[in-house]
Amino acid sequence: MRHYVIAGILVIVAAVLTYLGLEALNLLPVAASAQAASIDWLWNWEVMTISFLFALIVVPLVYSLVVFRRRKGDTTDAEHIEGNTKLEITWTILPLFIVIAFAYMGAYSLAETRRVDPQAMVVNVTASQWAWSFEYPDYGIVSKELYLPVDKQVVLKMQSKDVIHSFWVPEFRVKQDIVPGRVTELRITPTRSGVYKVRCAELCGTSHYAMEELVIAAPDVNFMAWVAEQQGVAAAAQTPESKGELLVKTNCLSCHTIDGSKLIGPTWFGLFGSQVSLSDGSTVIADEAYLAESILNPSAKIVAGFETQIMPAFTIFTEEELANIIAYLKTLK
Amino acid sequence: MTHTQNKSSALAQGLIVFIFLAVLTALEFGIAILLNSIVLLILVALVKAGLVAYYYMHIYKLNQEDHGEGHDSYAYKTGTNRLGLWLFLLSDSFVFGGLLVSRFNLLGMTRPHLNQLLGLAVTVVLLVSSFFMNRAETSIAHGDKKGFLNGTLVTIILGLLFVIGVVGLEWQLAKIEEVIASKDVVGGIFYMMTGMHAFHVLTGVILLFTVWNKGRKGLYTAEKHWGVEAATVYWHFVDVVWIFFYPALYLIGAAIQLAA
Amino acid sequence: MKKMKPIVRGLLFLLVGAFVGYGVGLGLDVLVGGRVNFTASIAGYFSLLIGVALFFFGLVGYRTITRGVTWQIFGTLGGALFVTGIRAIMGLKTFVPPFLFTEPAWVFGGLVGVICFILGHGVADDWIRMARGVDVPEHREDAPGWEKYYSPSLDHKVIGIQYTVIALILLVVGGTFALIFRTELASSGLQFLTTEFKLFNQNGLQFYNTLMSLHGMIMIVSILLGIAGLMNYLVPLLIGAHDMAFPRLNAFSFWIAVPAAVLLLSSLILGGFDTGWTGYPPLSAKAPLGIQMFFLGVFVAGWSSILGALNLLATVLRMRAKGMTAFRLPIFVWASIATSIIAMTATQLIGLSFQMVMFQRLFGMGFFDPAKGGSPVLFQHLFWFYSHPAVYVFILPGLGVVSELLPVFVRKPLFGYKWIAMSSLAIALVGFLVWAHHMFTSGMNEYLRVPFMYSTLLVAIPTGVKFFSWVATLWKGKITTPMPSAFLFVVGAIVVFLMGGLTGPPNATVSTDLHLHDTYWIVGHFHDTLFGGFVFPFFAALYYWFPKATGRRMNETLGKWHFWLMTPAFFTLSLGMMRIGLLGMRRRIADYDPLQGFDATHLVLTIAAFAIALSVLIFIINLVTSLKRGEPAEGNLWNSRSPEWQVASPMPAHNYDTPFEVVGEPYDYGLPGSKYVEFAKK
Repeated sequence: MRHYVIAGILVIVAAVLTYLGLEALNLLPVAASAQAASIDWLWNWEVMTISFLFALIVVPLVYSLVVFRRRKGDTTDAEHIEGNTKLEITWTILPLFIVIAFAYMGAYSLAETRRVDPQAMVVNVTASQWAWSFEYPDYGIVSKELYLPVDKQVVLKMQSKDVIHSFWVPEFRVKQDIVPGRVTELRITPTRSGVYKVRCAELCGTSHYAMEELVIAAPDVNFMAWVAEQQGVAAAAQTPESKGELLVKTNCLSCHTIDGSKLIGPTWFGLFGSQVSLSDGSTVIADEAYLAESILNPSAKIVAGFETQIMPAFTIFTEEELANIIAYLKTLK
Repeated sequence: MTHTQNKSSALAQGLIVFIFLAVLTALEFGIAILLNSIVLLILVALVKAGLVAYYYMHIYKLNQEDHGEGHDSYAYKTGTNRLGLWLFLLSDSFVFGGLLVSRFNLLGMTRPHLNQLLGLAVTVVLLVSSFFMNRAETSIAHGDKKGFLNGTLVTIILGLLFVIGVVGLEWQLAKIEEVIASKDVVGGIFYMMTGMHAFHVLTGVILLFTVWNKGRKGLYTAEKHWGVEAATVYWHFVDVVWIFFYPALYLIGAAIQLAA
Repeated sequence: MKKMKPIVRGLLFLLVGAFVGYGVGLGLDVLVGGRVNFTASIAGYFSLLIGVALFFFGLVGYRTITRGVTWQIFGTLGGALFVTGIRAIMGLKTFVPPFLFTEPAWVFGGLVGVICFILGHGVADDWIRMARGVDVPEHREDAPGWEKYYSPSLDHKVIGIQYTVIALILLVVGGTFALIFRTELASSGLQFLTTEFKLFNQNGLQFYNTLMSLHGMIMIVSILLGIAGLMNYLVPLLIGAHDMAFPRLNAFSFWIAVPAAVLLLSSLILGGFDTGWTGYPPLSAKAPLGIQMFFLGVFVAGWSSILGALNLLATVLRMRAKGMTAFRLPIFVWASIATSIIAMTATQLIGLSFQMVMFQRLFGMGFFDPAKGGSPVLFQHLFWFYSHPAVYVFILPGLGVVSELLPVFVRKPLFGYKWIAMSSLAIALVGFLVWAHHMFTSGMNEYLRVPFMYSTLLVAIPTGVKFFSWVATLWKGKITTPMPSAFLFVVGAIVVFLMGGLTGPPNATVSTDLHLHDTYWIVGHFHDTLFGGFVFPFFAALYYWFPKATGRRMNETLGKWHFWLMTPAFFTLSLGMMRIGLLGMRRRIADYDPLQGFDATHLVLTIAAFAIALSVLIFIINLVTSLKRGEPAEGNLWNSRSPEWQVASPMPAHNYDTPFEVVGEPYDYGLPGSKYVEFAKK
């Protein structure tokens, strides 16, 4: 009898210590969205339950290993206990209740994360190998970064140009895959100003690790100022070169640099007009035709040293956009 | 069902089952044209499959009592072999199940625009082949080597005819109807389903040829002809798959009219 | 040459073959590509294959396995040339850089290679004879000595050992891949797997993805072969049978895994692939050639799994000793039944889903291509319909080992034996209903998420039954000290699997999973479940039954080193992974942002990984040296009631010369005068 009492007390102690220890570790990143609230609430219940169940199994197990050892010289077997039907039923039914409780809590929590604000601002997200692009249709701007007003729900309408990606900001908690051929949605209400990062959370190829972008949450007034600034930049981009610069900034810089530094693809600094060595040994002058072909059909001419980098074809630009990009590239010297 | 029928009543039973299958197939075709009820079509398919599984594949033999025979007896070993074969068929049916799931997931309540007469024809060919294989198996079970060889040979020919009908004819006709493998999922699903099934028909033909050849050499008797039973049950299984694939591809859903 | 020890000769021939193969491959690559590439895929491919073929030739001469590998090489090349020839006639491209053959040629060649391996090895010879009507004797005596292990032996004990050996080899290979990329991950910034790195037509980033993907699949195959080893060796012994129901099918099931493993490993060399072991399209539809070798290798390995499971079920249903009713079956046999039900059926779905991607690539059939009306999410449904039940395949046998061994070491009945038996079946059955919990973020139909959450949480109940029963078995037991290594690993299994099981429910509840999915938390979770459900029990089983198989004991001191090095290292690894996962460390990434503050943890994880590797090395040294120099193991070493321990070690050739009858319960320790089995009088 005393074994049960001692073990019982130890279970409670161990459970509490485990839970307190886990809490002290600050397991989760800071919560920065309204959606995080119910998730963190459920997580907390789960950590409590995990702590308890861990203690419930490990304590009697260790206790047995320490206490129920064969005494020296004793060659007999242990007590012939085959089972206990009442106990079996209890430890089947009780977990069943716990399971159903968690399922119910889970359904509630999920519903909370999916609350719809009909006034939510729409942001169209385009994910591609390996960059993010955010379009604000209400304001007519396209941005490399995601800038969000605090305490206002945004509904991200997300599309992929190529393979499955996934949108995730750990501080916002919720995650949603972006599937080619359809539009998937994610609703986020930032609750805390700060600079975060969205990082692709579904393996999308070689540079999946680097597919990240800034996410900034700020008070609404700051957001509107940013919008105005972006609109100004877009309006100011009257020349083909500046329009091209905007396109490049949102589409190309995850693989190419404009300052000569090394990245996944060849740098564009000083590219226009230069001699380019190709992988088949030949050389070519980087003229407008070469630049255009390199965007629309990159595999036609592969630069020497970059054979293993497969650039996807970018057929999404209009003729005018293509010309603007090339105009901008010509300025990089 | 009695396991100790005499030969003529066994053959008669095989014929009656075939007549049922033929009537059900006609019914199926009628339902598709007149009622377009997917529930009824599934029901008919299940009844057809049940008939084949019970009367042709004699699934009840799995439950046979091995009367105190030692584990080393031929009877016991045959029972073990039989279990192994049915487990294999259970496993294989998951492939076809997966294909059916994919068909309905991707095509929903539409279907490819195919030649109905040809579809009905190849279905009839396969059902008739099962009839003859049943005859062949019944023959050898009663020691009739000649009946076995003839029945098996007819089955092989009909099996090859099925493959010619599907791969040789239907596939060519389908291309004209714009059902092309690389064009869209309609083509993809059509060729994958018919292709996987035809592959199983071909392996079935190879198995049948193997037992026909061994039968020719006199290696089978009324008491010992497990190889024949195995090839036969496999053959009927391939027929059962088509019992489900035929309505899934030809009868269920609205035909998609594909623009030229 | 003849006087050399075979292994030395084999290694020498391996070097020669690798060298010659490298030259041949390099030359072909220059011919087709027009420039010299010292790290060319083709050079590596020929180097590997010719090296391996010559290794076996040096080891055993030109027979069985050597013939198999040689025929596989010729079959692959022949098949590839055949398709190339047809393409030439059709006016299509024939020989292309960088892989010499086109993709369709490689796929067909790979398939033909597998068939040729089987034909060359000889494992199908009996069936071919039977088909031709030639008389085939039922039993066949094994070749003496080591030869039986590379020949098509029909003895389930030999086959069990063959499976176990290849499982350990793949464990080492898969683990080595992990050590390589763990070294890269030890600190942020790309150190050596950079864009400058060049090997087998991959840069460092691509190579990272290939290594990571193959680490997953090779470990999975290692587990499947390891459990096949356990089940094949033990089940006939436990039920009193001479062998499995279908010995030839058993041999085939083993040997087909060899060319499958070759295909899988060739994916590393033929351009690699970047999709992870899950191979999701559209990424896998665009991936390099290596993905096809991967798909084909897994497809063929699946046959081994399916046929082995079929054999197991038929054996248990038909070959039991007299008196062995359902609830007098050893608990490991129940575990094997549940495992085999899943393996025999669900495995077909990974074959189908991979085949569909292969056909999408080869024939343009757009099953998963949205532009053609296809659905990427359909792939995930088909794939996970197998791959979730598969994880129960991985762990049920190991949990069965835990249940089987506890009573012996604790001298007490297995608490609630019937409930434990039924819990294995319940896990298997419910396991078929949970697959979409891998797809909560996939964009699948919204209404599916909550039902799958319910079904997933339900699996906790039969799993809980096991844990409670194990604790109740230990409670008030009489545990021997010093605790043997086998027992240590049993206890370790319980605790590690507990951690895996407890970290499951947060993944099951959808909202929390939105944060956890695709992070290192998941990686920690499944390493816990796999180490607890397979790795630890596998080692326990090896320490426990090694004496039965060989007549010698493994060294206990080394066993303790193994355990006490592996266990803390593994706790560190899995807890560390879970920590950074929660804080934002995503899966499957070659590098991470230093600003996230994960550097220190990653360094610790890498050190832990090397410690685990060291412990496995200790185990292997123990295994190999104990074969010749282990302490002789006489009689019923563990004082077990189980039938296999009532006869001599090593196990006699035909298991039980006199049959036994089951006359009592398997785990009635502590019941005076009770017996489980009684052998017939001679």
